[in-house]
Amino acid sequence: MTNAHPTRRFAQLALVALVGLGVMTQAAPALAQGQREPQAEQFVQTRAQRVISVLADKNQSVAQKKATFHQGIDELADVPRITNFVLGKYARTITPDQRTRFAAAFRVYAESVYQNRISDYHGETLKVTGSTVRKPGDVIVNTTISGGQLGQPVQVSWRVLGGGTAWKVVDVQFKGVWLAITQQQDFVSTIDNAGGNVDVLISQLQRDAQRPASR
Amino acid sequence: MALAVIAAGGVSAAASSAHARASVETPIPLVAAPDAASDMAQIEYDPLEGFNRGSYAFSMGLDRAVFRPVTHGYMAVTPTPVRHRVSAFVYNLGEPSTFLNDVLQGKPKRAGRTTARFAINSTVGVLGLFDVAAGMGIRSHDADFGQTFGRYGVKPGPYLYVPVLGPLNFRDGVGRVFDFFTDPIGLAGQGWTSPFGITRLVTQTIDTRANADLAFRALDQAVDPYATARSAYGQHREALIREATGAVQELPDFDDVPAATDPVAPPPETSTVPAESATPQPATSEPAAPAAPPEPQ
Repeated sequence: MTNAHPTRRFAQLALVALVGLGVMTQAAPALAQGQREPQAEQFVQTRAQRVISVLADKNQSVAQKKATFHQGIDELADVPRITNFVLGKYARTITPDQRTRFAAAFRVYAESVYQNRISDYHGETLKVTGSTVRKPGDVIVNTTISGGQLGQPVQVSWRVLGGGTAWKVVDVQFKGVWLAITQQQDFVSTIDNAGGNVDVLISQLQRDAQRPASR
Repeated sequence: MALAVIAAGGVSAAASSAHARASVETPIPLVAAPDAASDMAQIEYDPLEGFNRGSYAFSMGLDRAVFRPVTHGYMAVTPTPVRHRVSAFVYNLGEPSTFLNDVLQGKPKRAGRTTARFAINSTVGVLGLFDVAAGMGIRSHDADFGQTFGRYGVKPGPYLYVPVLGPLNFRDGVGRVFDFFTDPIGLAGQGWTSPFGITRLVTQTIDTRANADLAFRALDQAVDPYATARSAYGQHREALIREATGAVQELPDFDDVPAATDPVAPPPETSTVPAESATPQPATSEPAAPAAPPEPQ
């Protein structure tokens, strides 16, 4: 009788320990995939904030902003990878000559879109809220951008590839929409509708780049 | 990089920055880029593309003729803080509908937050003009019938561009009809034909269009605006549904060679929503946002 209690208590303890272990071993792999990546977070915090700050800097002329922004973008984003990605399946069939012309046209096009929007930025600040490792070297960094003219803070996620201290952004998500993925579908649809002719996209990009802001 | 602006919502330079420069001199990866992955195929499923493109063109023409001038007039005469108040007011009136869907989705915590928000903002927040609850840490979230259907596994089905109403898919179109007929505020206000209903509809239409203005501008700069709107809408909706299911998004590897050779989207499972409710309605609680995912505030 007197021994019954300690025994039972031990049994309970053992059970708890076992279950606990079970839970922990179950949790461990999940953690491995969902863990944070501090260096990728640091990269986004520094580089992305810098680009945002440049745009909001009232002391810089538009030309200065463009130049600083240009440099900031090369530090922040993996431009060649993105250029390849947005071509989708056509990245496989494009000729080297077309590829060169596309890269140039894409750059100018993207630049002109940005230039039309330079007045939209008003001192927003970016704060990293966490990150998720999809697999080694492929990380989603979550941020909140607030201030400026924003009524409410907005959540923006950054997909960064790399390792150690060397990271580059390849895609950005806002309200569920990934920019590079959407751009890819825009471009692929355009080429599809042109019967697979990449030159049609290139010339349209060149034409659009010269178009002034619509409004 | 039109999309930059959709994403940016005028906000994050960051957004455009990610893409904004393509470098000519850097060596280019020689592998093919992957086509945006499998769940993207579902978003791109568009057997009615012919009709949809026509509907899109019509709606954009109507936008240029009517909605855009009205909205820009509104934006010209009201300062941004005032428009934020209007958005908050309109959004608050949608909270009971959000609550209803929180409950239907079996999410008591979210339902509780929605209730608290509606109670606080309708009183302390002066009929919803001020989002006091968010300041107290009770942040807003969206819920609608499309999300509720998705929560229980209904697939989006074919993409549908409804004139004036804008981008939808079969699932979310049916959801929109449900939203309209179950909206507690709409029912309390004796439908959309009552003076209150009409006022709300007009206000909401202009507010939604104003909030989507940057997205519209972005679409103007897309190479294929139709395809861009379709992609953005689909991604936005699937993200909302992942929010309810807790699923993690499958993303394409950024530069692996794609396995599939032909990118034609395989028809995904079509939605299994009740057929009798599938008639598109002329008016809903969120009308006239022909392009991008409209998001109050």
